[in-house]
Amino acid sequence: MFSKKSNEPEVNSSENSENQYTEATSDSTPEVEQASYDAGSNGYSNGNSGRSNPTKPSIISEGFEFVGTITSDGVLNISGVIKGKVTAKSVLVDSTGLVEGELFSDQVMVKGKVLGDINCDELNIGPLAEVDGSVSYDSVHIQRGGKIKGHFIKK
Amino acid sequence: MVEANQSGCLFVGEGVVLKGNFAVPDIASVSGVVEGDLSAKQVIVESTGLIRGKVTAESVDIRGEVAEQLTASRSLIIRSSGKVGGSVHYAEIEIEKGGSLHGDLHLL
Repeated sequence: MFSKKSNEPEVNSSENSENQYTEATSDSTPEVEQASYDAGSNGYSNGNSGRSNPTKPSIISEGFEFVGTITSDGVLNISGVIKGKVTAKSVLVDSTGLVEGELFSDQVMVKGKVLGDINCDELNIGPLAEVDGSVSYDSVHIQRGGKIKGHFIKK
Repeated sequence: MVEANQSGCLFVGEGVVLKGNFAVPDIASVSGVVEGDLSAKQVIVESTGLIRGKVTAESVDIRGEVAEQLTASRSLIIRSSGKVGGSVHYAEIEIEKGGSLHGDLHLL
C-alpha cells in the first residue's frame, strides 16, 4: 500500500489536482501528504501489507474540520480535525490530527490527539500523541512519551 | 544488572513467595511472587515475577505481571511479556508490542 511504486503516482496526482483547484494551499499540502506517507512507511503499514488493500488512503488534510460520521473500508489519514464517529480499516491520526469522538478500526496509529473511545485490534501510539478515553485493543504499542488517560481493556 | 553495591536492594528469586509490605531504598528485582505492597526507587519484575499489591517506585520495568495498583513517578516500561492490571499512575509510559494493560491509566 505504502510502497515506493504506489507512492509516487499518488503524490504526482495530488500535485496535479492542486494546480487545478487551489493555489493558496499548494505550498503546505504536499508536505502534509508526504509526511503521512513517511509515517506509513515507519512500520505502521507492515501489518497491512499482507491483506492488500487496493483503495487509496482517504486524507483529511491539515486545516480541514469534519463533523459527522466517517465510514471507510480502507485507509484513513487524518491530519485535520474530525468530530464524530470514525470507522475504517486502518486509521492514522497524524501529529496535527485530532479526533473527537469514537474511533473503530482494525489498525490505529496515533501521532496526534484522540479524545474519545478507541476500539481496535492493533493500536500504536506515538511519542507525541495524546489519548483520552476508553481504549479496547488486542495488541498495543505505546512509544515513550505518549500521554494516555482512560480505561484500557484487552480484548 | 546487579550492581556490585547491593545495599538497599531486594532480590526475590524464582519460586520465592514473599508476603507483606516492603520498603526498599534502592532496587527491588522480583523473579518470584510478592503478595503485598512494595515501594522502591526502582522496581524490576522479571518474566517469572508477579506482584499482587500496590507497587510504588520512580521507575518500573515489567517483564512479568503486576496486579492491583502501580505508580511510577518517573518512567514505566511494560515489556512484550509484561502484564499489568488495575489502576496505573505514571509520568512517562512505554509499552512494547505484546505487552498487556488492563485497567485505568492516569497521568501524574
